[in-house]
Amino acid sequence: MKLSYKWLSEYVDLHDITPEELADRMTTAGLEVEGIEKAASGTNLVIGEVLECWDHPDSDHLHVTKTKIGPNPEDVTQIVCGAPNCRAGLKVITALPGSELPVGKIGAKPVRGQESNGMLCSLSELGVPKSWQSEYQLAGIEELPADAPVGETNVIGYLGLDDTILDVSLTPNRADCSSMWNMAKEVGAILDRKVTWPDYEGCADKGTPTDFKVSLATDKCSCFYGKVVNHVEVGPSPEWLVRCLHAAGMNSINNVVDISNFVMLETGQPLHYYNLAKLPAHEITVVDDRDMKMTALDGVEFDIQKGDLLITTGGEATGIAGIMGGEESMIDENTTAIFIEAASFNPVSVRRTSIRLNLLTEAAQRFTKGVEPLGMHKAVDRSVQLLEKYCNASGFEETVVAGCENYTPVTVTETLSHCNALLGTAFTMEQVKDVLRRLDFAPEVNGDEIISHIPSYRTDIERQADIDEEVIRLIGFDSLGSTLPMMEATVGMKTPAQKMRDTTRDIMSGFALHEIVTYTLVSDDYIRSAYQPVGEAVELAMPMSEARRFVRTSLMNSVLECLQYNEAHQNVNNNVFEISTVYGKGIEGERLAVALDGKIADDPLHHTVKEGDFYALKGILCAWLERLGYSGSRIQVKENRTDTEHFHPYRSAELWLDKNLLGVFGEVHPAYAKKFDLKRTAYAEIDLKPVFGGRTSKIHYAPLDRYPSVSRDIALVVRTEVTAKEILDVVRKFGKKLVRSSEIFDVYEGEHVEKGYKSVALRIIYAAGDHTLKEEEIAGAHGAIVDNLRKALNAELRS
Amino acid sequence: MSDKIEQVQSEALRAVEECGSAEELQQLRIRYLGKKGSIQELMAEMKSLPKEEKPAFGQKVNLLKAAVSQAIEARQEVLSAGEMDARLAAEKIDITLPGNRTEIGTIHPLQLIRRELEDLFVGMGYTIAEGPEVELDHYNFELANIPKDHPARDMQDTFYIDPNTLLRTHTTAMQMRELEKAEGKLPIKLICPGKVYRRDDDDATHSHQFMQCEGLVVGEHITLADLKGTLEYAANVMFGGGRKIRFRPSYFPFTEPSVEVDVSCPFCNGKGCSVCKHSGWIEILGAGMVHPHVLEINGFDPEKCSGFAFGIGLERMTMLKYGIDDIRNFYTNDLRFLKTFDRFD
Repeated sequence: MKLSYKWLSEYVDLHDITPEELADRMTTAGLEVEGIEKAASGTNLVIGEVLECWDHPDSDHLHVTKTKIGPNPEDVTQIVCGAPNCRAGLKVITALPGSELPVGKIGAKPVRGQESNGMLCSLSELGVPKSWQSEYQLAGIEELPADAPVGETNVIGYLGLDDTILDVSLTPNRADCSSMWNMAKEVGAILDRKVTWPDYEGCADKGTPTDFKVSLATDKCSCFYGKVVNHVEVGPSPEWLVRCLHAAGMNSINNVVDISNFVMLETGQPLHYYNLAKLPAHEITVVDDRDMKMTALDGVEFDIQKGDLLITTGGEATGIAGIMGGEESMIDENTTAIFIEAASFNPVSVRRTSIRLNLLTEAAQRFTKGVEPLGMHKAVDRSVQLLEKYCNASGFEETVVAGCENYTPVTVTETLSHCNALLGTAFTMEQVKDVLRRLDFAPEVNGDEIISHIPSYRTDIERQADIDEEVIRLIGFDSLGSTLPMMEATVGMKTPAQKMRDTTRDIMSGFALHEIVTYTLVSDDYIRSAYQPVGEAVELAMPMSEARRFVRTSLMNSVLECLQYNEAHQNVNNNVFEISTVYGKGIEGERLAVALDGKIADDPLHHTVKEGDFYALKGILCAWLERLGYSGSRIQVKENRTDTEHFHPYRSAELWLDKNLLGVFGEVHPAYAKKFDLKRTAYAEIDLKPVFGGRTSKIHYAPLDRYPSVSRDIALVVRTEVTAKEILDVVRKFGKKLVRSSEIFDVYEGEHVEKGYKSVALRIIYAAGDHTLKEEEIAGAHGAIVDNLRKALNAELRS
Repeated sequence: MSDKIEQVQSEALRAVEECGSAEELQQLRIRYLGKKGSIQELMAEMKSLPKEEKPAFGQKVNLLKAAVSQAIEARQEVLSAGEMDARLAAEKIDITLPGNRTEIGTIHPLQLIRRELEDLFVGMGYTIAEGPEVELDHYNFELANIPKDHPARDMQDTFYIDPNTLLRTHTTAMQMRELEKAEGKLPIKLICPGKVYRRDDDDATHSHQFMQCEGLVVGEHITLADLKGTLEYAANVMFGGGRKIRFRPSYFPFTEPSVEVDVSCPFCNGKGCSVCKHSGWIEILGAGMVHPHVLEINGFDPEKCSGFAFGIGLERMTMLKYGIDDIRNFYTNDLRFLKTFDRFD
């Protein structure tokens, strides 16, 4: 809200408080001032008169003037001016050399060879907003009235522009402060100063009997005040009124319309004045059951639907209630009689209609936030008072009232002890009572109790907590101490799943992976090509763009897109992971995505270079699961029978934990990778539910072997199809209890090995817990293994 | 004869002293201590001495032998130390070459801040609540005192899925679920971090997806001063010691009184700088006392209990803490950006 300091000071004495101080006090009390701007500014200004004006000899648009700037005959100076309206006889705003204006500093220097001692100014050059000025004013220098006193140096004061505009951000609960009168009350409470409203009450009580009828055909209009004024004189508004409207960000139209807007700004109650002659009948009905088109004040046609509040007269629509009047009954220069409307329309209804029609007018915004119960009465009284004074209004008929239940003032009873208990303060009754007095809550103290009588405009005050808030914000939050809650002890702990989530991040980042967070909302394409969608995709009713239409059902596309971005930005070894929820209709999942795009170790200097391939990924995934507490035997890697659309059919696998398929991992299918301009990329997407919810294996201590172990290597040649698992299964099965561990440490295909075969080297460690192994024992076990490798796998032993 | 002993001794000791290599020393050892060496020769000469002189002479020769072998041993040690030095010198490496490149991954900055907050509040006895991002209107709005057609629910702000379902616009939805789940049982002391969504065009300061961490405490005598103390403690942990907290009145539908919370600027210590726009204060979060109506609709008696709630924007806090100027960085995931956050800080 734009708040004029000058206007405000009509109601509250502000002579000893600057706009900046006021802004601080208001902000501290919850009315945040976001900006402070002077209506106009400039130093070393004087009112002058152009005595002579001739064309500049070396310019097609400049003028040279002799301008009088003081009472004495010698107070005449030469100034060059470029404005088209510059002419002899004009009273002008003159900026003398040394003047500082918002547009810059003014000096005395020749303009194209002609001496020039200052500048003749437009209002814009004094920083006056363009919206406050007419087209004519914007086109040239300001033309002062003929009686303007030459030599007057308080030019801004003379112009009535000695004002400062505070930009106040009102929270939704304080819509009352969008009324100048209520704002004055608020400022009065903050500063503890007396507030004086104009003496307007009862001005509309007069009136001759009327035949004008108002009926309410919907309960969405709870109250309607109407009044016929048979005579008004339309003309320009007085300067002070125009300045007030400008300060509030409104334009001046004519005195009658301006008064309706001014009264709205004063009281907060939107008003509508109709041209009485253009109303087809002396009757108004508020309805909400029409389906029709209607042309509003701004000449645009709108679609009215059932449910929209409409003002009708004689069956015809004359206005969209609370939003905008009809074109037909608009006040114009020929208007001689008017009908005043001040009503209360349902905020929800007005809000819906104004959003649908995209008509967020001042009135609509005020109705949306709700008007105060006594607003209509105030607005009609004040309208009559101002119309009489500034529009020569007469011929008032009595006020027509429809609806309008009797207003019952709200009282709220709070106790000092409850207030202090909620705030954690030790305020005295005197302090609390003082705040409520300043707010005009007429506090009544009764022991520990304090009863507040809430003024009609403070519709936000309903219960004790509201009173407590007023107390603390007006006494000031500086009085609040800092304590920690005194309460029953609680155990703060992360759940096992929460701990595992943290651990997963630690493990993954420990493997040189970088965590990413990508957007939840994705395109239709990403949904259609999703890897293992968790369910049927959830679609937004009104997406902001096609790229963000669905809630993602899987992470793969988002993660690959991130790799694509990083490659495009010359980042290498883009190894990332993401932990995120995914959603389908009625289902929530949580997944871990891991992507290796580049090398997982990249140090050629020290000969440690490792591609981020299937095996790198498998190593990471298995180590992660084991580290979380799942012993190796519970983790299985099986042939990929799930998804060969996204994955390389021969370089991918399924990852299982017990009986749960966690997901597929491996090289992204080259055809799919190409979609994201990727080459060889390894990717895994793991369902975290079974992982975070599973029973982990306990740490098991076994005494260390006391007897030495013996290591034996075997070199085999087997057919290429024979898997490592098949070989190790034989070792495990026939090595009996003596095999402590077995591992494959080399696999070789190529020269010296027949095509279709591979050479495999494995190392077996033998030991017994209770004695040193004898050579015969080892030979027995080793021999059994070798024999069975031959039998089961057709393996040939290399020397 | 004694002269000869002395002569051998001085000659031998000098030779040992001057000897420059292990090989030479070995020859000296043979020459003096060997079976045919000078000392052995002297021993042989003893036979020709009169009987009474033999013991004295023998003793002298033994002393000579001990002195020479001791000198050789000593010299041996000196020489082999030198040879080790030489061998090690030949093994010299360039210590200025980089060590093995040991890449360390990173945790996303928003997750770092989230964990920091979680650890902080868990330490104060809070639990961590979880809840769905695809949420019911009921929890996101109705229970939070934002009934249908409340201006805070403008269609522009919320991603609706159908009239009853939406993407949660604030983590308050989780608070409401927890209040409901508690069935009126006290105390409640939790935080609820998570992703939230609003209809905002993405730019340097807006994101349609962002993260919040809200806190909720409900008990028998919870006060506004408790809220201040709690947040002051948190601010000091998050932004370093000496932080002060300032409350300014504000409005949220689910709290009353409601406050905006400023922290004294950690960059200039409240003196005024460009980060705090020369005010000495930075707005970090919104908070307030749980609105009595929220307590009532969730089955608590506002006469018997009270509570506070606060909501932290993780992006804002992270941006403040590290001076990040564009919120989109968090979701673009440029590795150059992510690698900046290589430690808990």
